[in-house]
Amino acid sequence: MAVSFPKCPSSPLPPLQTRNRAWSSPPLQVGDSSKWALLEATKRCHLCVSATNGGSAVAPVEPSKKVQDSGTKTTPTDHSTKVENGIRPTVFSSNEFQDLKTGPDNSGRESTVSITVVGASGDLAKKKIFPALFALYYEGFLPKHFTIFGYARSKMTDSELREMVSRTLNCRIDQRENCDAKMEEFLKRCFYHSGQYDSEAHFIELDKKLKHHEGSRISNRLYYLSIPPNIFLDVVKCTSLAASSENGWTRVIVEKPFGRDAESSASLTRGLKQYLHEDQIFRIDHYLGKELVENLSVLRFSNLVFEPLWSRQYIRNVQIIFSEDFGTEGRGGYFDSYGIIRDIMQNHLLQIVALFAMETPTSLEAEDIRNEKVKVLRSMKTLEIDDVVIGQYKSHTRGGVVYPGYTDDKTVPNDSLTPTFAAAALFINNARWDGVPFLMKAGKALHTKRAEIRVQFRHVPGNLYKKCFGTDLDRATNELVIRVQPDEAIYLKINNKIPGLGMRLDRSNLNLHYAARYSKEIPCAYERLLLDAIEGERRLFIRSDELDAAWALFTPLLKDLEEKRIAPELYPYGSRGPVGAHYLAAKYNVRWGDLGAEH
Amino acid sequence: MTILRFYQRPSSLSIAFSSRHERSFSGSSELVTLTTRRNQCWRFSPLKSSNGSPLAGASWKDDGKEMPVPKVPDIGSQLAENTVSITVVGASGDLAKKKIFPALFALYYEGYLPQHFTVFGYARSKLTDEELRHTISTTLTCRVDKRENCSDKMEQFLRRCFYHSGQYGSEVDFCELDNKLKEKEDGKLANRLFYLSIPPNIFVDVVRGASRSASSPNGWTRFIVEKPFGRDSESSSELTRCLKMYLIEEQIFRIDHYLGKELVENLSVLRFANLVFEPLWSRNYIRNVQLIFSEDFGTEGRGGYFDHYGIIRDIMQNHLLQILALFAMETPVSLDGEDIRNEKVKVLRSMRVLKLDDVVVGQYKGHTKGGKSFPAYTDDPTVPKGSLTPTFAAASLFIDNARWDGVPFLMKAGKALHRRGAEIRVQFRHVPGNLYKRKFGTDLDKATNELVIRVQPNEAIYLKINNKVPGLSMRLDSSNLNLLYSERYPREIPDAYERLLLDAIEGERRLFIRSDELDAAWAIFSPLLRELEEKKVVPELYPYGSRGPVGAHYLAAKYNVRWGDLSDSS
Repeated sequence: MAVSFPKCPSSPLPPLQTRNRAWSSPPLQVGDSSKWALLEATKRCHLCVSATNGGSAVAPVEPSKKVQDSGTKTTPTDHSTKVENGIRPTVFSSNEFQDLKTGPDNSGRESTVSITVVGASGDLAKKKIFPALFALYYEGFLPKHFTIFGYARSKMTDSELREMVSRTLNCRIDQRENCDAKMEEFLKRCFYHSGQYDSEAHFIELDKKLKHHEGSRISNRLYYLSIPPNIFLDVVKCTSLAASSENGWTRVIVEKPFGRDAESSASLTRGLKQYLHEDQIFRIDHYLGKELVENLSVLRFSNLVFEPLWSRQYIRNVQIIFSEDFGTEGRGGYFDSYGIIRDIMQNHLLQIVALFAMETPTSLEAEDIRNEKVKVLRSMKTLEIDDVVIGQYKSHTRGGVVYPGYTDDKTVPNDSLTPTFAAAALFINNARWDGVPFLMKAGKALHTKRAEIRVQFRHVPGNLYKKCFGTDLDRATNELVIRVQPDEAIYLKINNKIPGLGMRLDRSNLNLHYAARYSKEIPCAYERLLLDAIEGERRLFIRSDELDAAWALFTPLLKDLEEKRIAPELYPYGSRGPVGAHYLAAKYNVRWGDLGAEH
Repeated sequence: MTILRFYQRPSSLSIAFSSRHERSFSGSSELVTLTTRRNQCWRFSPLKSSNGSPLAGASWKDDGKEMPVPKVPDIGSQLAENTVSITVVGASGDLAKKKIFPALFALYYEGYLPQHFTVFGYARSKLTDEELRHTISTTLTCRVDKRENCSDKMEQFLRRCFYHSGQYGSEVDFCELDNKLKEKEDGKLANRLFYLSIPPNIFVDVVRGASRSASSPNGWTRFIVEKPFGRDSESSSELTRCLKMYLIEEQIFRIDHYLGKELVENLSVLRFANLVFEPLWSRNYIRNVQLIFSEDFGTEGRGGYFDHYGIIRDIMQNHLLQILALFAMETPVSLDGEDIRNEKVKVLRSMRVLKLDDVVVGQYKGHTKGGKSFPAYTDDPTVPKGSLTPTFAAASLFIDNARWDGVPFLMKAGKALHRRGAEIRVQFRHVPGNLYKRKFGTDLDKATNELVIRVQPNEAIYLKINNKVPGLSMRLDSSNLNLLYSERYPREIPDAYERLLLDAIEGERRLFIRSDELDAAWAIFSPLLRELEEKKVVPELYPYGSRGPVGAHYLAAKYNVRWGDLSDSS
């Protein structure tokens, strides 16, 4: 397991331990101790700290504190006072004010981070990764010294890469100062290396170049695999064997798809683990980096008014809705072999469900949160075909414009049965959520583009005002809506008296509209996730066991759909999706919140 | 209908059963009449339930016989059309001019008054009908959002307004009024409403005169009484006793216009029609409740009445206490007036009697700001120089019942403060074992949720929640989940007096104060008031236009409360 970690004890403590964004941000805890590596990491930390401590000015209590937080039984006595104060002693309680990231490390050497984007000429790299890196640089979140490498097969010079990158960079709307200067400085740190994805020799060359830029600094390396899944393993093998950092950390960010089903996913994980330690794998789910998904836990756990309501006793159903208002538009090749369930549901929406439904974690530490999420996933009922509706968009002519059907896409086989829409009812068989339907819906080529979480509450028992509501009390219940995108907002629908002399009630919203409240631009999910990966914050990345649990829920269904060649219900491009979704909802006495007269 | 359980109903007296939700489905002022000698009920709107079928309540049992309600007003000859006559006693007074007549016109304008009605002004001054109409017309305004036919409507309304000059203590004069009323009522079934807009010392005289000489012979007769209802328990119960010599409980409508405010009305809707609030409504989740009233002006030369009562009697013992009772009551059996008042009385009777230690009193002093000088309370020529009357008071109250044990209910009311407003603030407890506690600094109580119901001005409801500040870091701040009435509801919000007048006409007693409620309210405040006066407690002086005496903060601190309206982000 620790194949790639033999260096640790002899090397100084990598900044991985100091992932506190010291200048602004969460004192995130000792997230390093994953379930597997807990003991090892503990030892490692202990050793590392002891090793570096001799020559540094770190307060002598530090090592014992770290050890304590990492879960070992050594109990230093000098913390009792802090505990009494109600302040949890963590690693960061005392070094919070040190700028460990950019400053020299404990041994006096500066550290640097090298970010290599593998598949640099791809769409994702151009549209998301480089702009996100620039935004981080622009906002001052990257360490003082950093290097960015593009790696791909195409022949390109450094300046060609820079030219390509520069076209996609833009500055925050709210802080335009020095933008050009910053861009120039940033581009000066970008380099390109051309090589085959499976050639160790090419990665050795990359390693040399990296070393050249890193100089004598402690080098930390981050690889972002923005490549098709079939070459994941090749690249991982090469990077870990030929281009791992010698004295710092090496981490690999992997993008979906993580397999097609339980088996292929497990075999991918097995493959990755031949070369990487669990701690090194950062499986990205960019939905977890969305501002309002991040805020979900804050809402739940830092507001007294929500947590008491967060259970089957008050919540009638939860809806997680994703829709796109465009189709595959000539890029259906990849999509067709996965389909909407794998592309959106099994990862993004399921992750949101897990975050929504989890029990209160022991702390905000990544492992604590992921432990709770796994528990949710493992309590869920395996999805059955009866609880799913699938659809595929067909062409539609509106206002003289013809919108193509899914199978009109040239990259899609003409007889494709791949769903572009799916709705599913899921259940969590635990004490908190027993019987509460979690409805998911995801689709392409629908009438609107949005992602939202809707929490419908039960009706008021013995409602005094029931005469004011018509016959269906369930239609007048409270609803909490968290709109993830676009136009971020949180609102709570409440029943309110319409002002006037009568007693008529209507549903009004208690609103928090982000654009109105927060003038700052909301950062892109990739910025947050990249920063987290650099800092070693794993909260928003998917652990192997989480992934396994997620696939276990969906694999039987996916197999069933494919074996039985279930034909998707057709729906017109730009419509509200197949009506089957309503019948599925009706089966569990749910009404989709996004398709009502008022949202 | 639960009224019947509580009060002996003399068979000659009528009671209109009409509850507010029925009004909701009307929209028009179509009149459905149901009249018998025994049970005169009239209402403006056909009874309909939400699904269009008749409500179960659409028939009454009377003497064991069930009487179906006719669906259309083509009632037999013995059922006369009915009318309502509203007599404003003290018609030349300020309240009448500013509130009562405009409210009556607004009701007429919106179609809430019955087809036939008569408005009478009664006062000592010699006025002609024309002169009264002229006085009234200067104060009438139309709804901002419906200006159509406004002057026509005004004219029609004024034609129904009359004046009768008479002494308040003279039965003869009321007999004359009765004659005039009869003439206008024209043989219709007459319901009569007297609005006593007069000083309290003549309440009983007028009630005697009007009830003996000008009661309706065949319909109901009701009296709306304005505060003050006495100065303490004794004087209040004396007043009640006197009123009851001539009136029975059902005829007395003690107005507390705060109960007619839109957001006070909405308080029960919020609590009882939303699942998300009721579970939180107890000592388990609520840390304290604040009821705050402030005016940004002083007595301004009209301190004579005020000086005799003071802010505690003028605002706290009635308005704020009524809101508190509504806020804290258990779920009533129904929305029926008596059920709600029963629950309110229970709250009041569970409250601890207020002690001097739990009260801070203040009085404003002169202040010069920006070259302008604002007078002190005692500078008011109508106020005695040495007056100790509080113009500000803060008090902490406790309800010793299972739901509220230990939760401080803080009240604050004052004149000549830095702003004008009335609001209810509910501060919740801190999140137990808050995962994010390190983001909040040392005082977790400063980052709790807070529900604010702003009664006036600029009506709003908002819930303060802790939210992540968007961005890459994990900083939290307090944001609001907002409902701003002016944004959501473009329609003008009716004045409290409109609602209360309409309720009195309809016999809806939910928003009026019952005698036992009043007794219970006085019982809480009387010992304190007596002590303040006996000990001649000197109020803490505060500058005109300031935030009030600092003593209020110390009072709050004593119960670990922080006033929500004086923080930065209120």
